[in-house]
Amino acid sequence: MAIDNRKPWPDLVGAERHEGGADEVLRLDDLHVSVHNGAATAVRGVCLRVQAGEIVGLVGESGSGKTLTCRAALGVLPAGCAVERGSVSFAGFEVTALSRRDWERLHGSRMGAVFQDPASYLNPVITVGRQLAEVLRVKLGMRRRAARQRAIELFESVGLRQPERVFDQIPAELSGGMLQRVMIAIAISCDPELLVADEPTTALDVTIQAEVLELLRQLRDDRGLAVLFVSHDLAVITQLCDRIAVFYAGEIVESGPAAEITQRPRHPYTEALLRVASVGDFRRRELEIIAGQPPRVGADITGCRFAARCPVAVPECGSGQVRSVPVGDQHHVRCVHAARSVVAL
Amino acid sequence: MTAAPAGAPPLLTVESVDVTLGRGWRANQVLSGVDLDIWPGEIVGLVGETGSGKTTLARTVVGLVDPTRGRIVFEGQPISALRRRARRAERRRGHVQLVFQDPLRSLDPDLTVAEIVAEGLRIRGEDDGDQIRRRATAALAKVGLDATVLQRTPGQISGGQRQRVSIARALAVEPRLLICDEPVSALDASSRNHVLRLLRELRDSLGLPIVVISHDLSSLAGIADRVVVLYRGRIVEDGPVERVFATPRHPYTALLMASAPSVRDDRPLAPHQLRRSGPGPVPQDGPGACVFAARCPFAADVCAAQPPLTPVSERWSVACHRHEEWGALAPSANP
Repeated sequence: MAIDNRKPWPDLVGAERHEGGADEVLRLDDLHVSVHNGAATAVRGVCLRVQAGEIVGLVGESGSGKTLTCRAALGVLPAGCAVERGSVSFAGFEVTALSRRDWERLHGSRMGAVFQDPASYLNPVITVGRQLAEVLRVKLGMRRRAARQRAIELFESVGLRQPERVFDQIPAELSGGMLQRVMIAIAISCDPELLVADEPTTALDVTIQAEVLELLRQLRDDRGLAVLFVSHDLAVITQLCDRIAVFYAGEIVESGPAAEITQRPRHPYTEALLRVASVGDFRRRELEIIAGQPPRVGADITGCRFAARCPVAVPECGSGQVRSVPVGDQHHVRCVHAARSVVAL
Repeated sequence: MTAAPAGAPPLLTVESVDVTLGRGWRANQVLSGVDLDIWPGEIVGLVGETGSGKTTLARTVVGLVDPTRGRIVFEGQPISALRRRARRAERRRGHVQLVFQDPLRSLDPDLTVAEIVAEGLRIRGEDDGDQIRRRATAALAKVGLDATVLQRTPGQISGGQRQRVSIARALAVEPRLLICDEPVSALDASSRNHVLRLLRELRDSLGLPIVVISHDLSSLAGIADRVVVLYRGRIVEDGPVERVFATPRHPYTALLMASAPSVRDDRPLAPHQLRRSGPGPVPQDGPGACVFAARCPFAADVCAAQPPLTPVSERWSVACHRHEEWGALAPSANP
């Protein structure tokens, strides 16, 4: 990006400073998120870091806590949910205790977000160009003319053809794929360090999905953007991400580089997900399933939370908390079998 | 299991069907010249993007939409020509059952599972309560649901279970043809495979022909015998699933395959190799041009006219002027 018109840092009054790598954009430590006004814990001890220029994917079934985790990182937890314990730090600053006002300064200008249904985040009666220009005027103090010019450049940079024409169109005149590009243009309009994308391609056609994934990768390459990408589809995640965190029932059960996870999965749940995921040659005809159901959100389980569905469970799995152990370069697994092999080494 | 013994007549024939929705300036031709046969016992995957007309085709087949041209013949009877009372009677018999997309919205939230599954039988005019209950329970058993869900409402069961209730509702009236509109698109991978397996078992055990509508080829890979690709209201390719997936003859089919995400690095072509690059003008994109020309990287002068769906091999048809040439023009596969 040529122009850096971001407001001078630091603007987070009173935020506590953390030590961390210079490139570390987002860091979650032992994050616990409670739901139903504290009655249950849906995210239990998530540790995750995202560096500049890196795409990290969160994958898991619905209810596994992946969306709550990224909402906690954005400071937009739904009503009744709260960070119970642990820390979220953004660009080295602790943000769990930020005021609403400070969050608003971060949103849009330093963190961008896109979600599954772009149409519901846009005003249906205002042209998409004005909605983007408004962000530029409010967040960056740009004048009307400059904002229009910049908006058209941004539309072009996210691959919208005829950006001047798109500027004057309302959401209903654009297709789902184009709207998602508009949302991405708005999310990156103030050149944020972090983009959180929660199932942004789930509602799109596969050909459009492939284009949006390419766009995200290109934005990462061109701008050094850090991307936190959430999907229930392991195939999409492995296609896009550098690192993957696999969620199961509120915990990360395995995390590591994408290639390592897909070629040498160490957690039985990751293996199961890989077996049921789609492959590109289409000729495989067996339809694998994962037996059983995931536990209720926030269920109290001693030991491994996957044990009840695990094909290789042993009595030890239920005996106490299973720790996440390193099994390779940046590769961590929460499984008694992996822990045993690490100790044996 | 392969379907269609040679010489058997098709169960369903869709004959050069056009469908226009809306009137006057709003008129929108959704289907153009669709020809499709469904044979007994086969699973046909109908695939296409949003707005390609796949749901409209399903609605036309069950008689919810009237074709503006062409006809629908089911078991030798032209059902699109039936009017009023005869049409209603045919619909009530429920020979062709449609499982709607998104069961959360298509199932009545105030009815219990038992009532939902029994409703079709009541509409057909059966009045023996015991027998209706028995058949509803039997239909639920066929989809792998036991009596514990009978008294729950759709809001109280999981997404995969809801989809199976929808299928059970259709099965209760013993249809001769089942059409499922996006049966798995809202489900995660494990429940998706569960439902697909169920459909395959229903075909194997009941000999029930099934049309599965999907926007995503990968969810047809495990079950379909035949794949039919729709693009902007026209069938562009129709052929046996293994052969189409091994060597797609239409560039759009190839693009769909290349775009499908995969956990392995096993796709012969990357999507960008099958997309038109650059915003340059598309000389072939006039009225009457091939529907795919505007997006096709291989479009040539000949593509200024819509190609008909032409047989290229046994039971394999393609609507592309350049189906024999484009493969060689595609950039070479990933090294």
